[in-house]
Amino acid sequence: MEDYDVRSAASILASVKEQEARFEQLTRALEEERRNVSLQLDRANLPPNTPTSQPLAWQQLVMQEQSPSNATSLSMMQEPQEVVEETVTIEEDPGTPTSHVSVVTSDDGTTRRTETKVTKMVKTVTTRTVRQVPLGPDGLPLPEGSSPLGSYTDSIDRRYMKNGGDRFITPQATSTLTRSYNNSYNDSYGETPESQYIRHYGLHDGYADLTENYGSLSRGVNFRPPRYPYLPNSYRPENSYTLPIRKDDYGHVAQPQVPMGSSTVDLNRSQPERFQAEPYGLEDDRRSLPPEEEEPYELEPDYSTANRRTLQGPNRGRTHREPLRDVPRVRGYPDEAIEAELIDERHPYIHGMYSAPLAQPERGSMASLDRMGGRRSPSIDSIRKDPRWRDPDLTEVIAMLGHPIDPVKSNAAAYLQHLCYENDKIKKDVRQLKGIPVLVSLLDHPKSEVHRKACGALRNISYGKDNDNKVAIKICDGIPALVRLLRKTNDMEVRELITGTLWNLSSYEPLKMVIINHGLQTLTNEVIIPHSGWEHEPNEDSKPRDAEWTTVFKNTSGCLRNVSSDGAEARRRLRECEGLVDALLHALQSAVGKKDMDNKSVENCVCIMRNLSYHVHKEVPGAERFLDPSAPQAPGSAGPQRKKKDDAGCFGGKKAKEEWFNQGRKNGDNDKNYDTLDLPKRSEPTKGFELLYQPEVVRLYLSLLTESQNYNTLEAAAGALQNLSAGQWTWSNYIRATVRKEKGLPILVELLRSDSDKVVRAVSIALRNLSIDRRNKDLIGSYAMRDLVSNLPSGQQRPAKNLEEDTVVAILNTIHEIVTDSSENARSLAQAQAIEKLVAINRTSQSARETKAASHVLQTVWSYKELRNALTKDGWNKSHFQPTLTATPKPTKNGKPGYDDTTLPLMEKNQGTRKCGSGDMIPMDELGPDGYSTIDQRDKDLKYKTVDGSVDQTEREPLKNDTNRKHYIRSNRPAVSLVDACDVKPQPVDSWV
Amino acid sequence: MSNFIPGQPLIAVVLRIEIKKLRQGDNLILGFSIGGGIDQDPGQNPFSDDKTDKGIYVTRITPGGPAEEADLRMGDKIMQVNGYDMTMMTHDQARKRLTKKNEDVVRLLVTRKSLEEAVKHSMGSYPRQ
Repeated sequence: MEDYDVRSAASILASVKEQEARFEQLTRALEEERRNVSLQLDRANLPPNTPTSQPLAWQQLVMQEQSPSNATSLSMMQEPQEVVEETVTIEEDPGTPTSHVSVVTSDDGTTRRTETKVTKMVKTVTTRTVRQVPLGPDGLPLPEGSSPLGSYTDSIDRRYMKNGGDRFITPQATSTLTRSYNNSYNDSYGETPESQYIRHYGLHDGYADLTENYGSLSRGVNFRPPRYPYLPNSYRPENSYTLPIRKDDYGHVAQPQVPMGSSTVDLNRSQPERFQAEPYGLEDDRRSLPPEEEEPYELEPDYSTANRRTLQGPNRGRTHREPLRDVPRVRGYPDEAIEAELIDERHPYIHGMYSAPLAQPERGSMASLDRMGGRRSPSIDSIRKDPRWRDPDLTEVIAMLGHPIDPVKSNAAAYLQHLCYENDKIKKDVRQLKGIPVLVSLLDHPKSEVHRKACGALRNISYGKDNDNKVAIKICDGIPALVRLLRKTNDMEVRELITGTLWNLSSYEPLKMVIINHGLQTLTNEVIIPHSGWEHEPNEDSKPRDAEWTTVFKNTSGCLRNVSSDGAEARRRLRECEGLVDALLHALQSAVGKKDMDNKSVENCVCIMRNLSYHVHKEVPGAERFLDPSAPQAPGSAGPQRKKKDDAGCFGGKKAKEEWFNQGRKNGDNDKNYDTLDLPKRSEPTKGFELLYQPEVVRLYLSLLTESQNYNTLEAAAGALQNLSAGQWTWSNYIRATVRKEKGLPILVELLRSDSDKVVRAVSIALRNLSIDRRNKDLIGSYAMRDLVSNLPSGQQRPAKNLEEDTVVAILNTIHEIVTDSSENARSLAQAQAIEKLVAINRTSQSARETKAASHVLQTVWSYKELRNALTKDGWNKSHFQPTLTATPKPTKNGKPGYDDTTLPLMEKNQGTRKCGSGDMIPMDELGPDGYSTIDQRDKDLKYKTVDGSVDQTEREPLKNDTNRKHYIRSNRPAVSLVDACDVKPQPVDSWV
Repeated sequence: MSNFIPGQPLIAVVLRIEIKKLRQGDNLILGFSIGGGIDQDPGQNPFSDDKTDKGIYVTRITPGGPAEEADLRMGDKIMQVNGYDMTMMTHDQARKRLTKKNEDVVRLLVTRKSLEEAVKHSMGSYPRQ
C-alpha cells in the first residue's frame, strides 16, 4: 500500500519532471526560433514586393506565440487588423517633458508648438498575447477557462523579467502595431509579475514617431469594439467605465476593491482625443518646455506604474501641460490619507446627491460625467443606454465645487481641468457660469488634494488666447490667492501648478503689474533665489550651489520674463526686487559653468536680464552721475580711463592696429583713449541691479553666445550686450571696451552667420552700438564687413537667407554706422562687393525702409572723395549713390554722370546731426525697431498687436516669442552653416558616447 | 517612419537594445557614436531615408565595445533612451542623455530599416490569416 503510494508519487514526480523537461525544450525551441527570426528580420533586405520566407517566419513566430485558442479567436475577429498578437501601446509620457514642437523649430523651442499643436505620442508597446474576449450579455467578458497557454505566455514574460539584463531583441518588439490600445490596462495588474515586467521594460519599448499626426492614432481606437488584453494570470477583464478622475482618486489605492475600479482602458477610449493630446498638447501659454529638463526626478523616472497617466515622474516635469487631469499619485504619496478618505466618502456623496442616477458607487462619482467630455466609445454608449445614468452638466460640476464633501470638490475641480483642456468653449462656459471664483476660493482650502486640483483647473483655464479668462481670475483676486498658496505649500507639484498658472496669466499685459505687485517678491524669495543656488550671505565653507532647472524655476522665470517687459516701472520693480538680479546672474553663471545653457530656464533668465538691461543708463537710480558729458564722439573718454594704449585687438592682428593708426585722424586726440580703460575700483561688492551693467557680465553673455544652441538665448544675450553698449554713460563705455577685450567681437561676428533672423538682427544692432567705440568701429569695419554684407539681399532674388526687413534694415544701419567717419571702413565696404547690393536695394527693394537705409549708406560712401576714383573704376557713378528721389522706387537712372556738388550734403545733414550731434547720441526710442537697444524686439506682434501698437514702441514684449518663430526658420541654408555660426567650437556632428 | 500619412496610424518597428556602459577610468562609454539632431543638417545624414529626418542616428560602432556587444548597428535610429524621447533633440542633448554619469545601463529603442521593411512586408499578408 505504502509502497504503491510511493511508487505512484514517484511516477507522478517523474511525469512532472518529464513535463517540465518538455516544457523547457519547448521554451528553448521557441527562444531559438525567436532568435532566428529576429536575425532574419535583421538581415532582411527585402525588396518590398517579393515575399520571401521572412514573412512566413515571422508569422510562424507569431503563431508560436499565440496560444491555439488565440488562433481560434483570430478567426473570430471581424476586423482583419485585429491580430491575435496584440501590441498594446500605451500612450506614455515620453519622459522628456518636451514639447517637441518647440524642439522642432530648433530655432526656438516654443514656436512651432504653439503654431502647430502637434501632439506627440510616445507609445509604450507591450506585447501581449491578447485575445478577443467574447462579451457576455452584460458586457463583461465571458469568463475564460484558464487556458494552458496562459501559463505559457506567462512564463515568457517572466523569463524576460529575469533576463532583464539581456538584450531585448524580440520579434514582439519589432511588431509594434500602433493601432493603439492606447492606454493602460496595466493598472489592473496589481502586483503581478507582469506588472513588474511592464514597469521595467514595458514602458519604453514601443514607439511611434509621429511628428505631425499623432492625433489620429488614438482616435482610431475610439470606435473599436472593446477588446481586452488578456492576461492569463492576473488580468481581470474590466468592464467598468469610469472617468479618469475617478481613477485618479481611487484607482491607485491598491484595493482589489472596486471590481470595476481600474478600467482605464475604457476611460481612455472614451475620450481618446483628450487623452492622447495630453502629453504634448500643452495648454500652457507661450512657453516651451525644454527638450531636456534636468528635473531632480529625472534621475529615477518612476516606472512604477506603466500607465502613462500614473507616471508621476515625468508628469511632474510637465505640469503645465494641462494634463486633463492630474496624475494619480502612485504610491507613497503623502495624501494617501486623503485618498482613503475619498473612498470612504464616495458613498455618502453619491447617495446623498445623486443617488438615483449614480446608484453604482463603484463607478465613481464622476463616472457619468464622461459624456460631456466628448466622444465615447461604443461600449460606453452601450452603458449609457442604461437609463439609470445621467451626466451632470457643467453647471452641476461647478456646483460640485461647492459641495460640502472635499473629495467631491477636488473631483469636480479635476474634472473641470480635464474638460477645459484645449477646449476654449468650455473654459468660457466655466467662466460664464461663475466657476472661476469658486475655483479661486478653493485655492485657500486646507486640503492639498482640493487646492491642487483647483489650481490645476485654473491653470488650464488661464491658458489660451481668451484673455477674459485671465481677467476673470484676476478679478476674483486669484493672483494674490495663488501667491498665498505658493507661500504656504511645499508640495512641488502644487508649486508647479501655481507658477504655471502665473506664467499663463503673465502673458496678458494688464495683468503684469498685478503680478508684480502681488507676487514679485514672493516668486523671487520662494522660487528664484532658492533654485538659482544663490545665497545671500554665502557660507564660507559651503561651496557655491548650482542652479536647479526645475519646472518651478522655469515657470517662475517665464512669468518674470513676461512681466519684465511691462515698461519702465516694471523694470524698475524687478531691478529693485531684492536678490532677483543677483540670483538670476548666479543661475546663469552656473549654467555657463555647467555648460548647460540650452534650456528654457536659461532662456528665460537671459531674457529677463536683457529686459532689465534696457535703458539702464536712463532708468537706474543715480544714472545721471555716470552720464558721459563728452558723449558723442569720445566714446572712451569718460571718467578715469586713460592711457595704456595697447591691447591687441580682439581680432588679434597687427593689421588691425596699423589700420587703426593709419586712419582715424578725424577724431584727433580722442583716439588715444580708445583702448584704455581702468575700471573704477569698488570698495564693496556690487549687488542688485548694479550687477546688470558691470563689465563682468560681458564675459557671461559672451559665454552664452559662444555656447548656447538656443536661438532665443543667443538673441537675448546679444540683445543684452546691445542694451548695455547703448547710450552714453560711463558704464556703456566700459562695456564696449570690455567686449573687445574679452574677445567678444569675433564671437558676435560669427553669429552674423546664424540662420536665425533674430539672432542676426540682435547681433547686428549690438555691433552697431559697440562701434560707438572708435576702436571697435575700426575692428568691426575690418573684420565684420564681409559677413554683414553677405546678409544683404542681392539683386532681385531674395537672398540666401531671406532675412526679414527689420533685419536687413538693422544690418544696413550697422554698416552705415561703421562707415560713418571712417573712409577706411567705407573702402572695406566697397571691397566686400557691397556697392552692387546696396545699389540694388536702393533701386529695387520693395521696402521703403530698406531703400532709405541703403541710400544712407551709399551717400556716406560717396562722400569720401578719396574713394570716388576707385568707385568710378568699378563702373559706378554718382547717380548710383544718390537717393532714389521722391518716392520713385524705380529710377531709370544711367545717363548723366556727375558734375556734382562736391559735398553731397544730403547725407551729411541727416546723419551729421544724428551722429555728431548732441550728447544724446543714441536716440533709441526714435529708432524704433532698428534702434540701439532692444527689449525682446517684436517678439510679439501678431497675436498681441492690440496691446502693442501705439503704446510705446520701445517696449516690445518679450516672451511672446512663441507666436511667430516659424518665420525664423530658414530652411534653405544647410544646417552646417548654423553649426559654424553658433558654435565657435565646431559642434560635434558626430559624438562618441 | 519616413512616410507617414497624416491621419493614418503609423507603424513603428522598434527594437529594444540594452547596453551596459563600460567603465574606462572615469568615463562610462557606450562604444558608439551618434549623428543628427534637430540642430544638424538632416540632409547630410547618410542613414536616413527621409532627408528631413533630424533624428539621432548611430553613426559608428566601436568594434568589441558595449554597443556592438548589444547588437546595436550603424544606421539605427535612436527613438528613446531610457524612456526619453530622442527624436526631437539637439545633438548635444542627445549626447547628454546617453552619457549620464549616474546611469550604468541605457535602454534604447531603435528603429532599423531592415526590420521595418521586413515587418511591413510580412504584415501585408498577415490579416488574412
